[in-house]
Amino acid sequence: MEENKIDRRSFIKLGTIGLAATTVGVAWTSGQSDKQNELNARSEPEAESPHRWAMVIDQAKCVGCEQCVLACKAQNDIAPDMAWSKVTLVEPVGQQEVYLPVQCMHCEDAPCVDICPVGASYYRPDGIVMMDYDRCIGCRYCEIACPYGARSFNWQKFEGENPVVPAWGQPEVPRRPRGVVEKCTFCAQRIDRGLEFGLIPGVDQAATPACVVACPQKARTFGDLNDPNSSVSKLLANHASYQLREDLGTGPRIYYLPAVSPHHIEEDQA
Amino acid sequence: MNSKRLSFIGQPIFWWILLLLVVIAAGLVAGSIVLVKGLSVTNLTDLVPWGLWISIDLSSIALSAGAFLLSAAIYLLGIKKLEPVGRTAVYVGLIGYSMACLCLLMDIGRPDRFWHGFVYWNVHSPLWEVTMCVGLYFTVLALEVMPIIGQSEPMQARWSGLGNRMKSIHKLAPVLAIAGLSLSIMHQSSLGATYGVLKARPFWYKPSLAVLFMASAIVGGLSLTVLISKIAGHVSKKITVRDDLLDTVSKFIGWALVVYLYMRFWDFMGAEYTYLPGRTEAFHMLVRGPLSLNFWGGEIILGILVPMVILLSSRLRKDERLHMLALVLVISGLIAFRWNTNMVGQFVVLADLAQGTTASYTTYVPSLIEILVGAGIIAYGALAVTLGIRYLHVVDHSGVEEPVPQDKVLPVQQPSLAGD
Repeated sequence: MEENKIDRRSFIKLGTIGLAATTVGVAWTSGQSDKQNELNARSEPEAESPHRWAMVIDQAKCVGCEQCVLACKAQNDIAPDMAWSKVTLVEPVGQQEVYLPVQCMHCEDAPCVDICPVGASYYRPDGIVMMDYDRCIGCRYCEIACPYGARSFNWQKFEGENPVVPAWGQPEVPRRPRGVVEKCTFCAQRIDRGLEFGLIPGVDQAATPACVVACPQKARTFGDLNDPNSSVSKLLANHASYQLREDLGTGPRIYYLPAVSPHHIEEDQA
Repeated sequence: MNSKRLSFIGQPIFWWILLLLVVIAAGLVAGSIVLVKGLSVTNLTDLVPWGLWISIDLSSIALSAGAFLLSAAIYLLGIKKLEPVGRTAVYVGLIGYSMACLCLLMDIGRPDRFWHGFVYWNVHSPLWEVTMCVGLYFTVLALEVMPIIGQSEPMQARWSGLGNRMKSIHKLAPVLAIAGLSLSIMHQSSLGATYGVLKARPFWYKPSLAVLFMASAIVGGLSLTVLISKIAGHVSKKITVRDDLLDTVSKFIGWALVVYLYMRFWDFMGAEYTYLPGRTEAFHMLVRGPLSLNFWGGEIILGILVPMVILLSSRLRKDERLHMLALVLVISGLIAFRWNTNMVGQFVVLADLAQGTTASYTTYVPSLIEILVGAGIIAYGALAVTLGIRYLHVVDHSGVEEPVPQDKVLPVQQPSLAGD
């Protein structure tokens, strides 16, 4: 019995040492790579950026023409069977047909960033949720986790001409390879290039997301929430707005002005 | 030499292996098509991006759970008599995990980047945890299987030096058992948490899923180990199988099924009374919708209740056919659970409409290519186990000293640990 005890104790001791060694070994081999540091830096939401981009969509103005969808598909060179921005018809409210444009919400607390096993979904310092197409392994966990159905997988390679180019714009970003997930980037390429040239995203068209520029109804507004004078800040300060699935706590950065709200009624009467 | 080879032809084992090779060949062809043409040849969509392969992957990991359980029982609880059963479990486990890895490799969009999982870390992701644990545990299993290969006849005959070195890894068995236990507990439940942490999917979003994945893996993994041992004992007269050893495990499975059923009951009640958009719809899909036959039949009645009764009654358990049927039922119950869980969360699609969050439905049936790849991977597993039984003697209870002659009063005979 005595022997038995000692035996078991030494087993556990050995085992603990083994486990600790494994853990240390793994941490040592992969913990300190440059890529790892880069990833750590990425995971800090809004680390250092004066901007916090957001979009406001006025459902009273949206007529469901889908020009935003076409402009998005052209400038981001998206395959015909995929879409980053979608417009769905929701039930008519009163006399009016109400549409709901949906795309990546660039959540403040994004489930996709939390659960991507390789950190291919990440926050830019300005809050935009980005995809690293070179890192994505195509497991599609983010598609499963996104509450907004905002992500599309490249089931096949997009070859041939883009039918909406050049009618709706010129591609500004490279096509994504087969086997990775993609989604709206708030046209980060336009924002970045615009800022370099001293333009103001949301004010200057060249620095503003394609869908916002394309909307003939001016239903979409883009801008910086950190700037109290930006049009998005003003709209949100003066109008009732909502976000999709606020109950989830994801903090979406796309705000909707409902189709029927007091300010529209006032405007109609005036 | 030739005559020895020829004697193999025409025997049942020959046809069995030939059948498996044909299925594997079909799987290889289908797999190549997937690699060349991409996942567009599957029936997966952006609404249902996880299908048949994920279910096979989850099932084969869960059914490999016998390895860590028996290693823990033998080396940590000191139930030494189970050592030959553990040998089977460890080998089956290694094959099961390799099946899961193959499945994942087919399923991810960029199989060329599979190594990203180990290099780029996102510690917040349950899948990161699963990747790490599966990677490490695969190593543990390989080390645990090493002595079996080392002491095999072909190894000893040709490279006895290397064989003996491989055999000596057996000294590490207790350490490996502890590592295996920790890693398995972590990733078996993390696989449930992979679904359980998703707030976007109300039916999955619950802590119980992690626990249920663990509990079902315990019953399923042990059942597969016992079943394979029993089948081996029946098909070959050369293989010695000690029914009393297997009976110990089966009885444990019976009691584990009671615990598992209890957990399932309260999980069921939890889903019934939450009235959450999306969760209620998914729940109804399971209990009275398109998945209800699978749920009530496959998971609950045939998957838990019937085998529980058989395995807990020593009279019914003695009937070899019933006993094996019970084990098959537990295994298919686990597969049904994984399939249903994966599917039901995706079949209910939540959308935001004017009146709020609204549920609609979608469906998925695997394509022929998905089925062929899946069948090929399963056939590979069956072939590896068959060859392991035949050439590595992974089912062999002959080394154990005979029990005290059929006296049921002495099952808990404390073995001496002094010698090892």
